[in-house]
This record gives sequence, structure tokens and C-alpha cells, in this order.
Amino acid sequence: MKRESIWRALAAMAATQLAAAAMAQTPPPKPLMLHDDPALALTNISHPGRPAPEGTAPPNPNMHSIEGRWWTSEFKPLLGPAPGVPPPLKPAAMAKLEQSVRNKNKGIPEADASTQCFPHGTPRVMESPYPLEIVETPGQVTILMETQHNIRRIYLQDHHNKMGESFLGDSIGHWEGDTLVVDTIGMNTRTFIDDEGSTHSNKQHVVERFRKIDGGSKLEVTNTIEDPDTLEHPYSYKTVYYWRPDMRTQEYVCEENNRNTVINGITTAK
Amino acid sequence: MRTAASRLAALAAAALMMVGGVAAAQDPAHPNLMGIWKVTRPVTAAKTIDGRIPPLLPPARAVYAKHLAMAAKGDRSFDGVSDCLPPGMPHIQLIAKPIEILQKPTAIFFNYQENRLPRRVYLNEQHPADWDVSYLGDSVGHWDDDTLVVDTTTMNDRSVLDPSGLPHSDKLHVVERFRLTKAGRLENRITVDDPKTYARPWTMVVRYDRMPAGYRLQEEVCRAGALESEAPPPLAAKGKPGH
Repeated sequence: MKRESIWRALAAMAATQLAAAAMAQTPPPKPLMLHDDPALALTNISHPGRPAPEGTAPPNPNMHSIEGRWWTSEFKPLLGPAPGVPPPLKPAAMAKLEQSVRNKNKGIPEADASTQCFPHGTPRVMESPYPLEIVETPGQVTILMETQHNIRRIYLQDHHNKMGESFLGDSIGHWEGDTLVVDTIGMNTRTFIDDEGSTHSNKQHVVERFRKIDGGSKLEVTNTIEDPDTLEHPYSYKTVYYWRPDMRTQEYVCEENNRNTVINGITTAK
Repeated sequence: MRTAASRLAALAAAALMMVGGVAAAQDPAHPNLMGIWKVTRPVTAAKTIDGRIPPLLPPARAVYAKHLAMAAKGDRSFDGVSDCLPPGMPHIQLIAKPIEILQKPTAIFFNYQENRLPRRVYLNEQHPADWDVSYLGDSVGHWDDDTLVVDTTTMNDRSVLDPSGLPHSDKLHVVERFRLTKAGRLENRITVDDPKTYARPWTMVVRYDRMPAGYRLQEEVCRAGALESEAPPPLAAKGKPGH
């Protein structure tokens, strides 16, 4: 079945919420702000993902496997320790984020890696509101993402491959009980941590803890980021994905913008 | 004695579990295609099994002649690969770069180093009835004894079949038959059926060598034909509006 674009669904949901708010004569939700300054309004958190529809194959009850197709339950433009809270950035990095948010609100999006069809970087790539498919094979966990056909390879070994810097970095993993712990280093500095423009250095270190919850119907990833150059201290946040075996990945050709288009500064479905 | 014996039993059980785990993760019922492969010899121009130019219909022959003439002048604009677009099918299977195969009982995944492109082949499924055309199309597969048969449809007409510029239409239908040869190579017999471009279906053979164990694919990011992973130009060179 042809899948309706996620951005179209997002736009529809936002419109429904606004209409409901108008009917109830309550003002629309106050936008999140970086600081108390309308020029620093943040993009609101969206909820693109939905659980699998009725009749979908039940989740794999083996909690020691995270294999399958998943779709994020929440699109977070800012990846801080809580909703609407920025990462604990050092002053220089915070100034860059503020500038980025100001520019976005003036309709001048940052020319970052993703706008040039490069990979979004780790951890931002995991926030993509498009499906991902996890494949487990001996010695390797592979995450195939629809977004910009990114492929993350997590080698189940105890040492990094150290092949030089890359956008998605150098990931290794091991199982602790039913939790897959993924350790990533080696990211280049050409990406942001998040959509709003939190920056990182090439000393960024990301530890993700993947585990299935709710009988396998959800995948929870607890993400801890440390970066001695740009962060005051390490911080963590969680992302939850729905089990969606019914989703079939489409071809994403960023160079032709076949999956998105930008209307009034917001990425929307064609 | 008893302790040693029970320790041995525990070790044996652990070993069995490990073997069981690996077997369960792979696909014990079929030949093991898992690994990283690379074409034995680069394919610059696809030929039929008997070494002939494929049976192009007259209009397509003219298009091909044009592509050959362009390539002779160094103009490769007929091939979207030079613009970082997916090479299409079966072109992507001919490129002399590593190809990772992940094998599961329900699916085979081809992950190409070429611009990080993926191809997912779900086994024993039908093509979706309503699906957008794409460069790499939609692939489904099944095992025919020791041969993996992959059927690909729903391709757009914006790619060329091979690096030499063989054309195809959106009526292209590609069937690949993968099997391991006695020498441990992977053989792919590719049949191209495109009644708008070719007088009849034709078949080519491509072989791949397995890369050594522990080989790691690079993150390849295409930018106007250049490998980002090899020579990253500074992003700032593009300029940032408002800065």
C-alpha cells in the first residue's frame, strides 16, 4: 500500500489541533521558546508516529531482539534533557544555537549537512520522522533508515574501527541482558545534534541503550551525549518508537527532494 | 569431579546455545550469501551471455549511440550517477564497489557502498499493488533450490542500465538469479525484459568475489561525483545566508 507522507499527516494533525483549540475557544498552545523572547520560538514537538493498525502482526515476544520495522512516536526539533529544554551547551555553542533559532524564525534556515543531502549525523538521524528497519546478523546490528538512505552499522565488538571521521560515526555495541548498548564516536563536526542547531565537536560521544518495552510493541532508546568541547556536562533523553511491521520503506532521493517540499518555511509533503 | 563435569556440561550448553543463536540469526536452510562482495571484473558495458551488444530496438539503438558519443567526449550527463542519483537496476549491481548482503529467512538486504544505497528484497511476498516508481524499483524474492531469485519492477526511466549508457523504459523488469559457484564466488544471472527498448529479453552474467572477513564498508557520501569521505570540502564554502 502506498504510504501517505509523514509530513502530510503531521500537517493534518496540527490543523486538527488548531481547529479543536479554536472551537473550544482556547488559545493554541504557547510556542516553546529558547528564552523568553518570541524571536527564539522553537518548532513545536510533533507526533508523527502511530501504533500499528488493527490486524498487524503482533510484536516479536523475544525481548533479546530489536529486529523489525519501527517508526518514531515523536519528532523532537530540540534534543535536550526535557521537552523544549536545550542541551546544556557551553556559552559559545549556546550563542550559535540562539543565532540558528533567530535565523530560522526570520525564514533563513541554516545550511547544515542535511539541507545539502548529507547524512544528519548521530544522534539526530535517529529522530527522523521516517521509518527505520533493524536487522540483526551475527556480529552486527544494522539500522536501515528511509531518510537519505542512511545505514548505521553497529559492530558487536569491543573496539572501535577508527576508520576516520564520518557523519554517522563509528558504532560498536554489546548486549546487557535485553538492552543493546551502542557506543558511537568519530562523528565529524558538519552536523547538528538537532534540527534547531545545537552544535557538537568531533569529541562527541553518544551512548544509546535500546530495549523493547510494552511486550515488544515499543522500542525505547535512552540516549546519553557527552562532548567536553560544547557541553557543560553529559545529558540524556529518551525516544520511543512504535513496532510497525506494516510499513514498507520507500526510496528517498534527497537530491530530487522526492519525499518533501518546503512550504512557508515548513517541510511538507509534496 | 562433579564440579568439573557440571562446568563442562555448562560450557557445552553455552556452546550449543551460541551455535543455535548464530544458526537462528542466519538462514540455515539456504546457501550462506552473507558477507561483503565486489564484482570480479568491472563491467564497463553490459553484454549478453554470448558477448553481444543487447538486442536494442532501433529507437533505443539511436539513444545508445548518442550516449556512447557523449561518453567518448567525457560527457556522462546521461548517467544520473554523476549527479549522485541512484544508478538504477541492474546498474547498481555492476559497480565495482563493495556490496554487503545481510541474509534472513524472510528478507535479503543488499547494502551498497555506492552512496550508501540499500535494496531490500522481501522473500515470498508479492510486489505492492500500488507503489511509486523509483530508481531501484521494488524487489521481492524467493529461493529456487540453491538459487536466490530476485524480481524487480516499478522502476522509473531516469537511469541507464549500465555504465556505458544502455537505455531502458519504465516497462523494465529485471530478474536476478544469485547462486554460489564451486569456487566460492557469487554469480548473478541478470535477465532484462523491456519490450519498449529491447527486441527480446536478454541475460548477462556478473560474478562477485567475497571480501576478506572483517572488511568494513566506508560511509560514502556522494557530492557531484566526489567522495566526501575521501576529500571533505569545508561546508562553510557554500556560504550561510544571514551570517
